[in-house]
Amino acid sequence: MEFIINYYFDFDIISDEFGFVVSGLWMTIKLWLVASLLSLIWGLVLAVLRQLPGKALAPIRGLTIAYIDGFRGLPALLVLLLVSGFLAAGQSDGVLPKWLGLPTWFGEPTWFWYGVIGLTLTYGAYLAEVYRAGIEAIPHGQMEAARSLGMSHGKAMRYIIVPQAVRKVIPPLLNDLIALMKDTSLVFAIGGSELLDAGFSIESDYFNGSGLMLGAIFYLVLTIPLARLVDVLLKREQRRTQRGGGDADAGEAEEPPNPNIGLAGA
Amino acid sequence: MTTNGQAMNGDRIILQLQGVQKSFGRLDVLRGVDLDIPRGSVTCVIGPSGSGKSTLLRCINLLERPTGGRVLFEGQDITAIRKEDELNAVRRRMGMVFQQFNLFPHKSVLENVCLAQEKVLGRDRSEARPRAEALLARVGLANKLNEFPERLSGGQQQRVAIARALAMDPHLMLFDEVTSALDPELVKEVLDVMKELAAEGMTMVVVTHEMNFAREVADEVVFMDGGVVVEQGPPREVLDNPQNERTKRFLGLVLEH
Repeated sequence: MEFIINYYFDFDIISDEFGFVVSGLWMTIKLWLVASLLSLIWGLVLAVLRQLPGKALAPIRGLTIAYIDGFRGLPALLVLLLVSGFLAAGQSDGVLPKWLGLPTWFGEPTWFWYGVIGLTLTYGAYLAEVYRAGIEAIPHGQMEAARSLGMSHGKAMRYIIVPQAVRKVIPPLLNDLIALMKDTSLVFAIGGSELLDAGFSIESDYFNGSGLMLGAIFYLVLTIPLARLVDVLLKREQRRTQRGGGDADAGEAEEPPNPNIGLAGA
Repeated sequence: MTTNGQAMNGDRIILQLQGVQKSFGRLDVLRGVDLDIPRGSVTCVIGPSGSGKSTLLRCINLLERPTGGRVLFEGQDITAIRKEDELNAVRRRMGMVFQQFNLFPHKSVLENVCLAQEKVLGRDRSEARPRAEALLARVGLANKLNEFPERLSGGQQQRVAIARALAMDPHLMLFDEVTSALDPELVKEVLDVMKELAAEGMTMVVVTHEMNFAREVADEVVFMDGGVVVEQGPPREVLDNPQNERTKRFLGLVLEH
């Protein structure tokens, strides 16, 4: 029992290394925020490409579906290794310029950007499927009403379909971002110095898991509030739909039609 | 009133259907429909469900592409249009009101009526808004500008939908069973708006089950069955003195209450 407490909760180690673990936490948060933002955008682009109308655009739809199926079906770690290996090898072979092969954009280290790219490629595919579910849940009459007003497909998507679809899928999007939070730890395999790496290097140095346990607590501090937020949003949505859209609160006194203003004339 | 085969006259005849066909796979929904719609007229299309009335309406603004025949709108064969831009330009000149209202639920009443004015016609908010307010006042909803559609009754929603279509200054209005989804006590408020619109000279094609409305407002009643026009003429002929057996049977079923 004492061994368990000493192994996981050695307060001397925790107080000595707290700053080191927090610096890892900070990298994890940055990686999560950047990869989340880019995945949300990339996923929406994929979802919209997948819905393009007409025969002429069938090849684009096909490519998009192939991309989504491919990246959803691969382990994120494998994508990460493929991407980082390709960029590093391309740079050393002179095929890729240094700024692209060994990126250090905004002063962040190369592993950070490898991680952002790999995770965005994978999570963009996941999120595209979430958006797609939202888009397909919008009644067809919405698109027809927009088109009958003379809107192009693009305008109808932009002003009518996508805004409604995104609202519907905020909870499942957040769920995937929680998963992304945990998967940021995969950059450990390509030399990332983030939260998991901080904990693990303490484990190696001291032969003690307190650093990892501190990391675990930090992960939970980040993910559990997000999970609760998802629950709250889902409950709210449920209440809203149970109340029913339709004829609620209707039929109060209305003003009579005003015959002085023409309907047809401008 | 109108005769098929008459020389196309874009000034008098705003819309002409020539042998319009529509098939979904092996199902032939429209099997050659000819129809002339004079400018300023009200045409009510009646018939049993499955007769192709709604499909006909949707072929007019090309929400459905006819699989045969031609639709001429203001002198232009719109079924020959292949470019999306030209199609949008045509749809701009036709308003459509749907059975299920199809208001944009994430937009207020006012925004529902302003959105297409701004994004399609390129009007400024300062131009679109007074137009929207005037139309909403006209349909009796001046006090609902900032409500969201889910807070309105079906009849109110449908009146917003009519205002939304009118805001585009359409040359032709298509009504697709616009009172069929309404509770009975809400039907009248929508039909009253449509009657006033007709009285002001709007060209209207109305798919409806409201026989009294057809009798009172229509210049021409078209009875469809099995994807073809079976009988057409002024209401007092088609509704009160039908010649075709199928028309008689249908009217016998809907008018005996």
